[in-house]
Amino acid sequence: MSTTTPGATSNDLDFLLKVDHLSTYFKTEAGIVKAVDDVSFTLRKGETIGIVGESGSGKSVTALSLMRLIPNPPGNIVGGSLIFNHPEKGIIDLRHLSTKEMQFERGNSISMIFQEPMTSLNPVFTCGDQVMETIILHQKVSKQEARRRTIELFDKVELPQPEVIFSKYPHQLSGGQKQRVMIAMAMSCNPSILIADEPTTALDVTVQSRILDLMRQLRDENNMSILFITHDLGVISEIADRVIVMYHGKIVEQGTVFEIFNNPKHPYTKGLLACRPKLDIRLKVLPVVSDFMERDMDGNFVEKNSKFNSLGQAILFNYITEDDLEDRNKKLAQLEPQLRVKNLKTWFPIKKGLFGKVSGHVKAVDDVSFEVYPGETIGLVGESGCGKTTLGRSILRLIEPSEGSIEFEGKDITHIKSDDLRKLRKDIQIIFQDPYSSLNPKMTIGEAIIEPMRVNRILESDYARKKKAIELLEKVGLKKIHFNRYPHEFSGGQRQRVCIARALALNPKFIICDESVSALDVSVQAQVLNLLNQLKEEFNFTYIFISHDLSVVKFMSDRIIVMNKGKIEEMGFSEDIYRDPKSEYTKRLIHSIPKVDLENILRTSKARQLQLRNS
Amino acid sequence: MYGFLVLMGAVVVVFFIFNVLPGDPVNMMAGQRTDIATREAIAKELGLDLPLHQQLFHYVNDLSPLSFHKDNETNAKKYNYNKLIRMGETAMVWKSPYLRRSFQSNKPVSEIIIENVEGTFWLALAAITFATLIGIPLGIWASLKQNSTLDHSILSFSVIGISMPSFVFGALMAMIFGDLLADYTGLNASGTLWETDIFGEHHLQLKNLILPMITLGLGPMAIIVQLTRSSMLEVLSQEYIRTARAKGLDGYVIILKHALKNALNPVITAVSGWLASLMAGAFFVESIFGWKGLGAVTIHAVMNLDFPVVMGATIFVATVFIFMNIFVDILYALIDPRVRLK
Repeated sequence: MSTTTPGATSNDLDFLLKVDHLSTYFKTEAGIVKAVDDVSFTLRKGETIGIVGESGSGKSVTALSLMRLIPNPPGNIVGGSLIFNHPEKGIIDLRHLSTKEMQFERGNSISMIFQEPMTSLNPVFTCGDQVMETIILHQKVSKQEARRRTIELFDKVELPQPEVIFSKYPHQLSGGQKQRVMIAMAMSCNPSILIADEPTTALDVTVQSRILDLMRQLRDENNMSILFITHDLGVISEIADRVIVMYHGKIVEQGTVFEIFNNPKHPYTKGLLACRPKLDIRLKVLPVVSDFMERDMDGNFVEKNSKFNSLGQAILFNYITEDDLEDRNKKLAQLEPQLRVKNLKTWFPIKKGLFGKVSGHVKAVDDVSFEVYPGETIGLVGESGCGKTTLGRSILRLIEPSEGSIEFEGKDITHIKSDDLRKLRKDIQIIFQDPYSSLNPKMTIGEAIIEPMRVNRILESDYARKKKAIELLEKVGLKKIHFNRYPHEFSGGQRQRVCIARALALNPKFIICDESVSALDVSVQAQVLNLLNQLKEEFNFTYIFISHDLSVVKFMSDRIIVMNKGKIEEMGFSEDIYRDPKSEYTKRLIHSIPKVDLENILRTSKARQLQLRNS
Repeated sequence: MYGFLVLMGAVVVVFFIFNVLPGDPVNMMAGQRTDIATREAIAKELGLDLPLHQQLFHYVNDLSPLSFHKDNETNAKKYNYNKLIRMGETAMVWKSPYLRRSFQSNKPVSEIIIENVEGTFWLALAAITFATLIGIPLGIWASLKQNSTLDHSILSFSVIGISMPSFVFGALMAMIFGDLLADYTGLNASGTLWETDIFGEHHLQLKNLILPMITLGLGPMAIIVQLTRSSMLEVLSQEYIRTARAKGLDGYVIILKHALKNALNPVITAVSGWLASLMAGAFFVESIFGWKGLGAVTIHAVMNLDFPVVMGATIFVATVFIFMNIFVDILYALIDPRVRLK
């Protein structure tokens, strides 16, 4: 099977952007950080390049360098050239344009959309005003004309009631709608290049798939080139023609989507592809990047041969058979449930008027019942706002439920008083989503782990507690020397390990993981998931695993609960839910997840090749 | 509604504070050589012989625009009311709030306040305008050059401005510019807004405003500088600023349009708070510069145990504060759509 690069047949003058030996450095107190280190690639007309890499790999800095939006100081483009084949001006080097000239190109011939639609629109101007501003700035048209074009654009990006949205403020729109406004803004001057920096990362999967549809459609209509930056290989496989894999500021591999997914060459790419939880097979342990490579003393990548020789091997030797799964499920069902949730409702009153009259309720959790067996992992999955987090917190009584009952080990805990509640929280621990904000920055890691032990009078002396804390740190893969360090010295993954160690300090029986891996890179996510599974086997915990990511939930859970609008849509064994979803909502959820399917990739890339050649 | 409750609370608290304070106003009025009968007559006239809760009721009744009084000639003259409904001897009336009369000069308190508030009003307004006009640009400037020498000097200057007591700064200003350098500046060490010349004509003396304005504006200005700076720094690191840059907007447009509008809220809170408190009269500054205003009158009244004046002034200030807060809430909503009610 041979594939050619789409557009590779056309001659070299067809290039739109040629990035040549680009280097962007940041000056920090610790010295110079080479955020982008000698990066070269070519973007052709109409082509979509996907840049993947984990956070800190330099993919966003590459994009910002192209726009010359690197904050200076501390950052600076120190070398290379950015040759742009301008549709009107011919060949120019973006790096050597004056500030004024560059301002003229931004938002005009090159435009950009950002990751966080919540924060990238200015909250004090209407959506219409913000799009109009770009049009007036670059196209020098009257206000009425700009308004007309804006509404037309809103219609094009499929916003409902464009005239109404025009005068809405960003906070009045949903995340997906805001991202559509951003896209409209970026498209307003018919750019040659659209740089999209993680445009769908902050969105729900169903919204993500609709936004990707829209971007594909706009790309085809306008024959536009897209530089699509993401950490999610699944998304890349859906939209890109070629893929660039970045690691530590360098390009480690580039090729067509099919080449990258079919036959990754660099060990890092292999690791990245392997560490995504798969929906179709159930793995025992997720492969991680370090299974495939390590760095030698000089910082060069060395392929490791110890564990897996290839991607296929990583999967083949390592999955759980259906019989094993069935056995386990049967065993669990014979036990007495550890947690029983009956008709639980958590409603928040909406207050209105002068005297705060309750005019209605937000039904965050609405009549939910389920049971959890000891040693089981229950996955709670659903889109943002479905009530999964509120449910998790209601069980711990961090939020008071309005109705219904919660039984833990046969004891009703719905109304117990504060003393008993503290004892309960010793047994049920929670690990939050954001490891950055759930650790007190002024407290050492050791203190953070010892504190809950002290409060709950576990162990008799601080000396013993310290010994235990160090033991826990080692258990979660950290070291003794980390005990006296502060949170800011750790990476996201390490911080989440600290949070896990803190939860373990109280010897809990039951752990609620609330989106505990959502803020982490896929490669780090795999490590943390493996750790959670390993701890489960060692201590026989019961988990409630809350996440918006069905593939992660499926990897972790024995049973899955799908939530939608506060209610349970569907509940069942993980395999059954995935293979044979009963409700419409679950079907849509599963359908929206980007799937890495080689045949599909081959088909779409062939079609794209044809399309590019014809245009 | 909320404002009304606050006002009621203020009235009650003020009333009780001045009634538990030591000092006997009857003594003040009657002088030392009077017999008991005269004293009792005075006390009765002032209602000081009644139990406290009745006194409070009368006070509130006097204060309220909608109130009940015995309908007779004395009252009609005293309150200058419009009758609404007559119920036997009493009538429900509509009137302007009656703040009683000064124990000392027997002038109506409302008249005293109105006479003196003009000076205070202009001084406060001038001071806060001065503080805002200088403070916001300095704050923006400092935020744009963060961690530069300029930024550091603006910051240290503002720390001095915050910590220097106004009576020290005021005295310094008066001494230096109003006296030592008076020949160059042409300013007086003391003076008031309207001066009467020897022919009995009133002249507007704007130059007398300059020194007290700067003195009074220094504190708020220093705070505005710091607030603007920190608020701008936060806003400038927001992602929508990057979006604005990615659109190709000019630096000035980004700072003045996209950033400043987002950064203004804390500054408005500070400005309005200061304006309201300056309205109460700047006691020291007014007395240093011999400025005729509410602060000077209040201080004088306190020293003479002239309770109606002190109470009237306090309630007036409370009202100003409440209106200022309402005004600021409206302003917030105008600037930030997220504050607007659905």
